[in-house]
Amino acid sequence: MKSLFSLKTEHKYGYIFILPVAAVLGILIIYPLLYGFYISFFQTNLINRWNFVELENYINIFSGNSEFVNSIFVSIKFTSVVVLSHLVLGLLLAVILNKKNLPFKELFRSILMIPWFFPEVVVALLWRWIFNSMYGVFNYLLMNLNIIEDKITWLSSMRGAFFVVVFTAVWKGYPLILVMILAGLQSIPEELYEVAKIDGANSFQTFFYITLPNLRSVLLVSLILDTVWWFKNFPIVWLMTRGGPVNATNVVSIDIYQTAFQSFNFGKASASAVIVFFICLGIAMIYKSMITEEEM
Amino acid sequence: MLKKMKINNILSLIILIFASFMVLFPVAWMLSTSLKTMQEMFVTPPRWIPQEITFRAFARIWTDYPFVRFFYNSILIVSTTTIVSLFFSSLAGYGASRFNFKGKSSFLVFLLVTQMFPSVMLLIPFYRVLNILGLINTHLGLIIVYMAFTTPLCSWMMYGYFESIPKELDDAASIDGCSKFRTYWQIVLPLSLPGLAATGIYAFIMSWNEYLFALVLTTDDSMKTVPVGIGSLVGQYRTAWNDLMAVSLVASIPMLIAFFFLSKKLIGGLTGGAVKQ
Repeated sequence: MKSLFSLKTEHKYGYIFILPVAAVLGILIIYPLLYGFYISFFQTNLINRWNFVELENYINIFSGNSEFVNSIFVSIKFTSVVVLSHLVLGLLLAVILNKKNLPFKELFRSILMIPWFFPEVVVALLWRWIFNSMYGVFNYLLMNLNIIEDKITWLSSMRGAFFVVVFTAVWKGYPLILVMILAGLQSIPEELYEVAKIDGANSFQTFFYITLPNLRSVLLVSLILDTVWWFKNFPIVWLMTRGGPVNATNVVSIDIYQTAFQSFNFGKASASAVIVFFICLGIAMIYKSMITEEEM
Repeated sequence: MLKKMKINNILSLIILIFASFMVLFPVAWMLSTSLKTMQEMFVTPPRWIPQEITFRAFARIWTDYPFVRFFYNSILIVSTTTIVSLFFSSLAGYGASRFNFKGKSSFLVFLLVTQMFPSVMLLIPFYRVLNILGLINTHLGLIIVYMAFTTPLCSWMMYGYFESIPKELDDAASIDGCSKFRTYWQIVLPLSLPGLAATGIYAFIMSWNEYLFALVLTTDDSMKTVPVGIGSLVGQYRTAWNDLMAVSLVASIPMLIAFFFLSKKLIGGLTGGAVKQ
């Protein structure tokens, strides 16, 4: 009898302590999500015009020469290149920084973390200035190294602009992956490496048979966060290219922003956001299934 | 064997030096630009060290642009968000770490799942709701929005930190007749300062950098935040890059301070939940 009573009070205290956060989650996340879902069935300016149009918004965003579908493809291209680069860079640098007897290790680690601490707005505008075709220092650097002869108009060509936004996103985002992997590396027991050494494994074998498998869960968690983060990213692309030239960098968050706040087509924008929600959910579930397959 | 290790190390160092160069040269360029005059900024070939070094840009951002106001807005919004978010999330983290209750594991999972929601999905609903409540162009409006962004992961981080503090401490306090809330407030919380600091910095960084929601939810110039203010400086014609870089540097200072003092702890806090020990 007594244990039942104490169990109940324990429940009660748990609920009291999580109440504020639970309220935040409910009121500020779940309710707006559902509300966004609701708006997506209307043609509305959010003020006085609310026409229920059933699935028309969803049909519209997919029909004809759809900018939304195009922006999904741009986002997928952008995100996959960015995340893959983060992963390769993060792994390479983390493995190096995890070495013993490397001089100035702490200093390098600190320097390599710097991009993470600059606001995205600042990063976007800084690189926009560096890639400026007339006065930018990047063209000048490449010309000094004899890599190019003439100035490249980075941001006004379709391929150039795409390269620039990807480059900037890679620069800004790799440190997070780097620290996650570094933390993961440090949690791998030393004995495993010693055993491998005794068995005569070379460094490639050690990397592929010990390091990578042990990093699996860390890598997947970082991948999920990074993919979703860059799939929905807005400031970097918006401040560098506004989605142009000719939609070359028109990622999905820019498409939604413009549909809602420049064309005031809130219903259509909400429908797009709902689709993005399911895409992100899909991405997370794919990764999640990869985790559970092995761990459970 | 020794020679092989040396070559390996040299190669590693070359990679690290190149990577550090790629990180530092933009920062150096930002500093260099901010110290230039308008004329020298548009000189070709560009100069790394300006002939005429001037700190005028750092004065102009306060006099010629409304950045005093923008910084005031940002500091007010971000510090309130951080404090409230820390308080709420430490409560939730403590509750989830110390008590068993129905739905606890789904609560914890949901905290992480929120990180996967695309924030654009919240943009239009927030715009509508804040409009109805008359909170567009207010500090409170943005504070509420940033609470939604920061509390889930902060709660998760605090949960991870509390898990590392022995529960025997709570039992001892409870035997001494300490109430649950007092145990949390006077015994466990003071021991959690490093965790609180890391979590607070995370909340601070998140909200200090936020751009899209501040852009949409403030239409009045006097209510803009620093990122939105900086973003509005880049025009279609001639941009005053020296002023822009000066204010960018100033806006990055809080982040860089956080970085130099607490980067290790922050990283530990962020990765604590993700890494199996």
